[in-house]
Amino acid sequence: MKISYQWLEDYVSVGLPAEELAHKLTMAGLEVENISTVNGDTVFEIEVTPNRPDCLNMIGIAREVSAILDKDRKSYSQEKLAYPQEKCSIDIQDKQGCLRYMGTVINDVEIKQAPEFLTERIKAVGLRPINNIVDITNFCLMEIGQPLHAFDSDKLIGGKIIVRRAKKGEKIITIDDVERELDPSILVIADEKRPVAIAGIMGGKETEVTKATKNILLESAYFDPILIRRASRKLGLSSDSSYRFERGVAFQGVGKGSHRATGLILENAKGKISQHFDCIEEKKRQKLDSILIDCKEVNHFLGASFDPEKYISILEKLDFSVSADSEKLTVIPPVFRDDIKQGVDVMEEVARIIGYDQLPYSVPKILTGTMITNKTRKKRTFVRENLIAQGLNEIISYTMISKSLLLKTKQEELKGTEIMNPLSVDQEILRPSLLPSMLNVIRFNINRGEKNLKLFETGKVYLEGEERERVSLLLTGEREADWRNAKGKPVDFFDMKGVLEQLLSRGRVKEVSFKSMENKYFEEESVAIYIQGEKTGEMGCVAQDVLDAWGIKQKGIYYAEMDLGLFYDAMQPKEKFQPISEYPSIVWDISLAVQWDTAFEEIKRIAAELGGDLLKNIEFKEEYIGDKIAKGQRGVIFSLVYQSSEKTLTESEVSVVHADICQALVEKLGAVKR
Amino acid sequence: MEDKGFFMSWNYQEIEEQILRDKEQVKDAQSLETFRIKYLGKKGLLAEMYSSLSMATKEEKPLIGKKANEIKINVSAFIDVKKSVIAQEAKKQKKNTIDITLPGIAPKLGHEHILTQTINDICSIFETLGFVVEEGPEIETEFNNFDALNIPSDHPSRDGFDTFYVNVQDPEEKDRKLLLRSQTSPVQIRVMKAHRPPLAVLVPGKVYRPDAVDASHSFMFHQIEGLLVDKDVKFSDLKGLLQLFCKSLFGDQIKMRFRPHFFPFTEPSAEVDISCFLCGGKGCTVCGKNGWIEIMGCGMVHPQVFKAVGYEKGKYTGLAFGLGVERIAMRRYGIHDIRIFYDNDNRFLKQF
Repeated sequence: MKISYQWLEDYVSVGLPAEELAHKLTMAGLEVENISTVNGDTVFEIEVTPNRPDCLNMIGIAREVSAILDKDRKSYSQEKLAYPQEKCSIDIQDKQGCLRYMGTVINDVEIKQAPEFLTERIKAVGLRPINNIVDITNFCLMEIGQPLHAFDSDKLIGGKIIVRRAKKGEKIITIDDVERELDPSILVIADEKRPVAIAGIMGGKETEVTKATKNILLESAYFDPILIRRASRKLGLSSDSSYRFERGVAFQGVGKGSHRATGLILENAKGKISQHFDCIEEKKRQKLDSILIDCKEVNHFLGASFDPEKYISILEKLDFSVSADSEKLTVIPPVFRDDIKQGVDVMEEVARIIGYDQLPYSVPKILTGTMITNKTRKKRTFVRENLIAQGLNEIISYTMISKSLLLKTKQEELKGTEIMNPLSVDQEILRPSLLPSMLNVIRFNINRGEKNLKLFETGKVYLEGEERERVSLLLTGEREADWRNAKGKPVDFFDMKGVLEQLLSRGRVKEVSFKSMENKYFEEESVAIYIQGEKTGEMGCVAQDVLDAWGIKQKGIYYAEMDLGLFYDAMQPKEKFQPISEYPSIVWDISLAVQWDTAFEEIKRIAAELGGDLLKNIEFKEEYIGDKIAKGQRGVIFSLVYQSSEKTLTESEVSVVHADICQALVEKLGAVKR
Repeated sequence: MEDKGFFMSWNYQEIEEQILRDKEQVKDAQSLETFRIKYLGKKGLLAEMYSSLSMATKEEKPLIGKKANEIKINVSAFIDVKKSVIAQEAKKQKKNTIDITLPGIAPKLGHEHILTQTINDICSIFETLGFVVEEGPEIETEFNNFDALNIPSDHPSRDGFDTFYVNVQDPEEKDRKLLLRSQTSPVQIRVMKAHRPPLAVLVPGKVYRPDAVDASHSFMFHQIEGLLVDKDVKFSDLKGLLQLFCKSLFGDQIKMRFRPHFFPFTEPSAEVDISCFLCGGKGCTVCGKNGWIEIMGCGMVHPQVFKAVGYEKGKYTGLAFGLGVERIAMRRYGIHDIRIFYDNDNRFLKQF
């Protein structure tokens, strides 16, 4: 809201440089966002918080200034008006929408320019002078905060004011020359035939005050804030009036605004009041409840030690009525301050006027009682640190996506959580999978020439309202290798499996298995990850048709997604120390030709069974596929590590076990020693 | 010394001269070794001298022994010195055989997203002070997100314009849908309902508001909420705690101010401004000319909030604060567009 420094001086002697006043206002909760100069006047742009509609006018700001600077206020002088007995015809049909409507008909007004002092004032706060009547209503709006509207009363069909909801399909051309279609959610002011104003927002063109106007009807009303707000949003139309009605004008301001404007009109446009009616549907309280506060408690709460007199003086400047019994105060807020309901509200008033910066600092005693830090968070940190150590970069992506992305990803059967009021179809659901988000990120990067990517995200999926935390992993491009070692080969299945295994083993997750599976979004070589028999995740190479649908040209996009809730549950604490054998180990290799589909897991299982305590480890060394071996077979070489914790093993002791293992592998798997 | 003619009667002078001559021949590690073997080796001169002792006369023995020791010391000392000289020379020769400016070899580490790092930086400051970190769901009830936080049922922020609603029935209120939390504050309610004071909690997380995306707005962003509740938490504690925090995060030089503001769930409420990073308070394009940057909202927990969670009236007081993570990261690292965080450009990720 704009505030003119010169205008403010009409109500309180400021006597401070503008910058200094701006700082003081800001530090009292009326943030001055901008200061500008208009025709030699200084204009502040003030951000008024939604709880303070009483500050949306000059007098309201003057009240604050008088409290902040501890100065008395000046008020404008006005002669008492004599209203005639004759009432104008006002019919409030929507009693919830309009609690009060004051109408005043003034005849034989002279339409001309408003006096200069008035036009200068309203120009300073950004309004355009129109004519004396309209300018006076605007002046009073800015001065007192009461929105007013003047109709050309001769143009009101039937000479009536009806406050009602608009009918479906009704239209009105507003004073900004735009035709607007109305509906029953919108409150209007109508005459016998048609709407003549959108209540609280903007008047109609057909009944506006023009040069030809002779008689006017001045409206001063109280409209329901919610109704005005919704109508304003619906119509995409807001005004200085709607801004104030939305936030709530003072019920008592209806009369005050009307009297002030009527007085100014009689003074500047002559005319004579012919009709007047204050139509009140439901009287709002004239007085707010009293609040008891103890200055000792206030001081303790603020960590301060001010005299009760200080508090009383501030509150009285803010128009609170205060009666004191030593340190105990009985406070009644002014009627326009219905944001003040209890002791803390009064405390805030005194604190902000004194200035928060004038209040002391202290270091709190911090105790946490029964709470302990969230364990999930620690485990997530472990996951992140593990993956970062493995060279993956963390991404954070939007959790809301379009359904069409699921279709592109061949995950259309997954159900996310639907947003009822999305901003656009791009954010119509909360994702049921992390894959579309990841594909979006890699497409972005590949298009920008970043082709070697190792990424992960820990984020949520939202399965029909249920939030589950997951991790997604992505590898594509060349393996990061130094030129002094091997030149970078493309990443493959085993790079991804390795990342997952390293994560799982460092998390000390037991009973992990990888099983082949099929789905639409992965190529053939994809696997499901099981932890303790429960499916926890999936990994594979993203299917070519998915990549085509996304327009990703690069091949070999390896992806894994795993449920973190299940992973966290399966993480085990550190185990007891295992003594390190003092005796040397013996390492013997076995080279076998096995059937193509004989899994190394199976070889390990058989060897481990027979190896007993002596067999400490089985290490895979090499795989051979080629001419030197029969078709349908492959060569495997692995090492068996034998060690005892009690003595140095002899070759003959090892050879007994080793021979058993070899024999079992030959017999059970049909393997051939090479 | 090929002839061993001086059996029994070693010609000590000749030996010494021979040693001198041999020393001159030593040029490198190999000739040094030849020298060592000639005198100290298993079949070297000293070994011969010692073995001659058994045949020597009583009178000769002490002299041979003495001379042999002298030779041993002489030769050994020479070898030690020469060894180090040769090693130094070898080192010198090795110099400039590698280009020391080539990059080293190391497994490549990944990078944590800068928002995660910012959240962790902030959390660890408060954890050091004794706060515990808690989390809560993103899909929330209207009660936790609004009612309990003293936000009136007709408040504009409940509109579809300001809050996302999801198509899931509120299990406790039949005529209500669940929503995406528009702030981390509902976790305050969850924490207070589950625990009794004293409480010191920090809550990081994602929040959602239907704002069209531009350089400074996003429909999804991160907030951190703080809550301290006890029997005698004062307004001065709020100032003291946040001053401590701002100085820890932004440095001792930072100036700050508490500006009265309005939030439904705190009373008194304030916004915290810090002096601008860029201009140090003189005014610039970043801080909008006035030298101050708003970084967080805070206040004393509103009695209505305590009432909503069932705490006895007047028994506890508390302070709460909330800050936007993106906003702080943008200020700290000079990032001018919020969308950069969510593009996840690999070149951006690798900078932090």
